[in-house]
Amino acid sequence: MSDLFRQDLVALVPRLRRFAYGLTGNRQDGDDLVQAACEKALRNAAQFQPGTRMDSWMYRIIQTLWIDDRRRHMRHGPAIDPADVELSDEGKAANLPEDRMMLARTRAAMAALPEPQRAVLALVAIEGLSYREAAETLDIPVGTVMSRLSRAREALLPKLGLSQGPRQ
Amino acid sequence: MTAPTAMTRDRLAAFVDGALSPEEAAAVVMHLADHPADQAYVDDLFAANAALARAFAAPLSEPVPPAIRAVLAEPAHEPAPEPTPEATPGAAILPFPSAHARRLPALAGGLGLAAGLALALYLVQPAPPAALAVGPLTADSPLGTALESLPSGVPLAAASGRETVILSTLPTATGPCREVESLDRAARRIDLALACRDPQGLWQIEVVLAETLPVEASPASPEDGFIAAEGASVLDLSAHLDQRGAGLALSPEAEAALIARGWAE
Repeated sequence: MSDLFRQDLVALVPRLRRFAYGLTGNRQDGDDLVQAACEKALRNAAQFQPGTRMDSWMYRIIQTLWIDDRRRHMRHGPAIDPADVELSDEGKAANLPEDRMMLARTRAAMAALPEPQRAVLALVAIEGLSYREAAETLDIPVGTVMSRLSRAREALLPKLGLSQGPRQ
Repeated sequence: MTAPTAMTRDRLAAFVDGALSPEEAAAVVMHLADHPADQAYVDDLFAANAALARAFAAPLSEPVPPAIRAVLAEPAHEPAPEPTPEATPGAAILPFPSAHARRLPALAGGLGLAAGLALALYLVQPAPPAALAVGPLTADSPLGTALESLPSGVPLAAASGRETVILSTLPTATGPCREVESLDRAARRIDLALACRDPQGLWQIEVVLAETLPVEASPASPEDGFIAAEGASVLDLSAHLDQRGAGLALSPEAEAALIARGWAE
């Protein structure tokens, strides 16, 4: 495997951790998932097509491992650590208490979504993939990406406490 | 939130997600002007995307955990690429416009107080290339475009290895300003800039604060160094913002509305 492959993978790790955090709802589970995905990627480096998007390839590995893990353990929802929901950003992203509350609500609402919707929302709204890229990553039609996004937002938006006009 | 009229929610969502062609997006913008309920829904979608991006953003500003680093480490027989702590001293680079130079002693004091950190502070001018730099931005530059159109908390497309995100939008006496953070992971350098919009609609970077992160915090508290360093930066920009008569950061909804109407007051 080339050094470039390894370097590209290293550079992706922060975003992979963010995606896995969104998917699992839990920092530790997310990091365990990223670690397993990196191991798998290094083992299967020969399968990666140079010139294609490594981020999509890695998101796909993470998502597949997560689904496998969920099947094996028959879990019914992400293991949300309450302390994690409250304070996991340790004030880095949120300067005001109400802002922190908002982010905690967002994590809880994300965790309450069905698995397939959470993956699509994480890829599009957080990782910034296009609908087509998200569809290719998850191996589903673009129309399915859109319908899952639509249902995810239908469930998520009312829980975020938006639509209250500008608060300053 | 009432149901959109002629425009479906999927189409409005595609607009927010950047999935429409420029022509389609322009049609949505025209539609929104006459449909406040749809505009409110679009505002909510922007706010939700921004909230999601921020809610899970913590890993972006943290060192990679040792367990993951170990997996990705070069095989033992190859030289380790990790920089040594001695090679990357802490630094704060402050290419202030001359009018603000008098604030420097206070800044140095603030950083010193934020310590336990052993951050060295010195001045370098001009700022090194590839970092955020004081000066005007052209409207078609990536950062200029992002400042004009991107909500806070949404990472810009990575360019030259830097991860850049707009942190907030703040009204000031002379117009809107935005805080921008740019992380160069390889160089372990974080830049925090204040960009302000002039009446002609061009963005100008007014201040850049830069710090080099300590290479290794103790494994027991891997984030300590970073949080404190960032805290110091935010503190410093606050001083500069106070000087400009800045108000509180806009809520995501207010920011989305301001962007949607082209920054018109």
